[in-house]
Amino acid sequence: MTTERQHDTIDMMLNMGPQHPATHGVFRMVLTLDGERVLDVTPHIGYLHRGSEKLCEGESYGQVVTLFDRIDYIANLNNELAFCRAAERLMSIEVPERAMYIRVILAELNRVASHALFIGTYAIDLGAMTPVMYGFRERERIQNLFEAVTGARMMHNFIRIGGVKEDVPDDFGPRVRQLIGQVREGIEEMDRLLTFNEVYLARTRGVGVIDAATAISVGLTGPSLRGSGVAYDVRKDDPYEIYPYLSYKVPIGENGDCWDRYYVRLQECYESLSMISQCLDQMEAGPTMVQMRRIARPPKGEVYVHSENPRGDIGVYLVSDGTDKPYRLKIRPPSFCNLVGLAPMTRGSYIADAVAILGSLDIVLGEVDR
Amino acid sequence: MSLELMDVVWVSLWLFTLLNVVAVAALSLVWLERKLLGRMQGRVGPTRVGPFGLLQPIADGIKLLMKEDIAPGSSSRVLFFVAPLLVFVPSYMVWITIPFGRDLFVRNLDLGLFFFVALSVLGIVGLVLAGWSSNSKYAILGGFRSAAQLVSYEIPIIMTILVVAMLAGSLSFHDVVLAQDVVPYAAVQPLAFGVFLLAGLAEVGRTPFDIYHAESEVVGGPFVEYSGAHWAIFFLAEYINTFMVGALGALLFLGGWRWPVGDVPAAAGVALFLFKTYAIVAVIFWVRATYPRMRIDQLMSFGWKVLIPLSFAAFVVTAFQMFYGWPIWMLTLLSLVILVPPIYIQLRWQRTPAMALAKHYAEIAVAVHAQPRPVPVAAVTEAHAAPGTEDDA
Amino acid sequence: MTEQTPNPPGQGDDEPPAAAAPVHRGPPIVIAEEVLNERGERTARLLAEVVGPHAQESGGRDDLPWAEVAPENLLEVARKCRNSSELALDMLHLQFAVDYEDHIQMVYVLFSMSLDRKAILRVNLPAEDPKVDSVVGLWEAASWYERETHDLFGVEFGGNPDLSPLLLFDGFEGHPGLKSYPFNDYQEW
Repeated sequence: MTTERQHDTIDMMLNMGPQHPATHGVFRMVLTLDGERVLDVTPHIGYLHRGSEKLCEGESYGQVVTLFDRIDYIANLNNELAFCRAAERLMSIEVPERAMYIRVILAELNRVASHALFIGTYAIDLGAMTPVMYGFRERERIQNLFEAVTGARMMHNFIRIGGVKEDVPDDFGPRVRQLIGQVREGIEEMDRLLTFNEVYLARTRGVGVIDAATAISVGLTGPSLRGSGVAYDVRKDDPYEIYPYLSYKVPIGENGDCWDRYYVRLQECYESLSMISQCLDQMEAGPTMVQMRRIARPPKGEVYVHSENPRGDIGVYLVSDGTDKPYRLKIRPPSFCNLVGLAPMTRGSYIADAVAILGSLDIVLGEVDR
Repeated sequence: MSLELMDVVWVSLWLFTLLNVVAVAALSLVWLERKLLGRMQGRVGPTRVGPFGLLQPIADGIKLLMKEDIAPGSSSRVLFFVAPLLVFVPSYMVWITIPFGRDLFVRNLDLGLFFFVALSVLGIVGLVLAGWSSNSKYAILGGFRSAAQLVSYEIPIIMTILVVAMLAGSLSFHDVVLAQDVVPYAAVQPLAFGVFLLAGLAEVGRTPFDIYHAESEVVGGPFVEYSGAHWAIFFLAEYINTFMVGALGALLFLGGWRWPVGDVPAAAGVALFLFKTYAIVAVIFWVRATYPRMRIDQLMSFGWKVLIPLSFAAFVVTAFQMFYGWPIWMLTLLSLVILVPPIYIQLRWQRTPAMALAKHYAEIAVAVHAQPRPVPVAAVTEAHAAPGTEDDA
Repeated sequence: MTEQTPNPPGQGDDEPPAAAAPVHRGPPIVIAEEVLNERGERTARLLAEVVGPHAQESGGRDDLPWAEVAPENLLEVARKCRNSSELALDMLHLQFAVDYEDHIQMVYVLFSMSLDRKAILRVNLPAEDPKVDSVVGLWEAASWYERETHDLFGVEFGGNPDLSPLLLFDGFEGHPGLKSYPFNDYQEW
């Protein structure tokens, strides 16, 4: 969008500082404003940089899993899965099928929890204060289940190299089915409140448009990319675990605006819930962990494996030198790459839109900064 | 007019009572909002302080009064301290003319409606002054937004009040209520009622029109640099204004203490009036829980392009009816006819294309079909002795 | 036979073997070599065509072939990879550095959104003065990757308009990503 100046005015720099209710964490945006129009946006990150990649070089492979929990602290299990897949690929381990089913069920539940949080926080960024309560209620239900299965509400350390830590409790099946029903109702409630709300539509449609070519060049992945019309989903294009045995739909948008990104995530929630019930139908008894050394020692080599995080493509590039600690572990965080797209999306919009666009990218600062 | 001592004492007593009543009403609104919003959001609201959390607003007030008084160093001191007063005093002063029941008012001014309009405009000056004197970018942004918004939405309020004045034939609140013998003006002029409610929402600064003190963007707008007691005054003024909008709606459009029961004992009249006021206020809270907030340019275009023409249409229609002597139900009919097209257009404008788009997306979603699973391997239970599986850690 | 169980240290060898309990272990692992599968072979052939004589070494695992090029040729090879109609590697998925002490290796992971292709380009840079051309003109995603690599490893990217620190705070000295940066040391602000 071009911004034409009619008067000779000075640009104002507005700092949406590290402490701001709408920046989803310690993130700093410096907006260059002409009145209410944003001319440019400069993101400043690094407030949560903990040196995770360097830390990994001093930890054994089992300990690295706990670190991956804390990178994206909202979708923990998806991240654990990403790393474990990389290490297993390097060691050429074939995980038993029941373990794969448990992993996928937990990862999809985590995806629903993450999207529920997204919908709630996005709504409250825009001023609707009710969906956030519903979203967190659904998230609590799911985290209750996680506590029963893994022992922790958030930092689970459950998906290990070679499988999962232990088998699920006996009442897992009926409990998850009941959970699916409850969560589906909760998400539908938020859906009814927001999706076709006139004010919500006015705030999100046509705002923060990014076309497919720019999105690909910028490195956008996940629902943000699918909102622009590119049908790339790692579960579909590079299937892993037991995703080939599930039928589901990959929702895509066309316009690339905030509403499309929100709608894609909403539909993904429903698809994930149906995937979970398919997994429960197909799951059978069996081993949940592979026979392997207590301390993993992958052979020398490199591997790059990517999985579908709720935020996008999380890639793990693992360089091993044959010892029990990784030589170099590079994490490709989806939020980091999505943030590069903030500037093209925000130029030319209003201040209120800057908040809406940042919210629609669904970033987690732990992932951005590592 | 001679001013006798008894007069002065009597009026002071009434004013004191009024201050207390209004303050208690505003505090009750704080409690009601938190409870109502809590229930709508699936939680209970305050429950600890007092029975049902009824003393929660008092606890909030004490907390605010005990806070440290911070003013930004670069702010203009005198204006910084005067601004909250400029907001609070006018919003309180209007209550002098509001009748709570038959003959229950401090002063029945013949120009009551005009008095209200004049004082509500004064409040705008206070807000802008608050934003400007804080000398902070967020505050200035909030001040600009509030000036634009409040001044624009004064016009529909003035127009709808004029409509009521024309129908009642008087500018005094008491006469307006007495004129709503048979039919409340909400039924006579639903268009004016609707416009008044929406414009009143915008005047008070409530969602969806609360962009100027939106917490998630300008973190408080003109109020961002105020702390403690000063902020408490702004807070109180906002709730008094909300109560005012409810009270005005009840008096001007719903028949105050009279309709539909006619002349009843004063206490029952007061209860009826309060019931109507709280009903309107509850609807205002309901809207706050449901809707996101509009962006400033959308808000302004809604005000200027939708509400102001509608309010002028209401005025013109009422004038025609009075001039040509049409029956009252004609007025209702005409105002409904004018009200329906904008609602229809509004729905078609945003919602229908979005629903069509959602259906389209449901069709273009890429379907992935399950591949057949390989025959599951029987559970492995034999010995796992294999080379290189010793633990040599 | 020693049973591999990650039991807590409290449980000793006097535990009776749980024969009737659900089996917790699966079949043993087999360590395979680094080899390309069918998809990878196809892409490796296309990659070899596109990169041509510049490829110093190549290899790959699964469906990801890699090719190593000299730093001078990187920009040209990258441009050819992106613009070629058979490879169409239009997304820079990841760009980072690995510190091999005597040299620093830059790794570019390229994906194609339209075709089913993935490839990795590698460049070896000398450790004393790691400099390479910036690919920010080809893929906008490189802007932040290069900033981060410059911040943490000290690699210079010629042609990148903005190499200001991204993750580290102003005034941080040293490049913590390098192996030479000590582990237990930290700098106070």
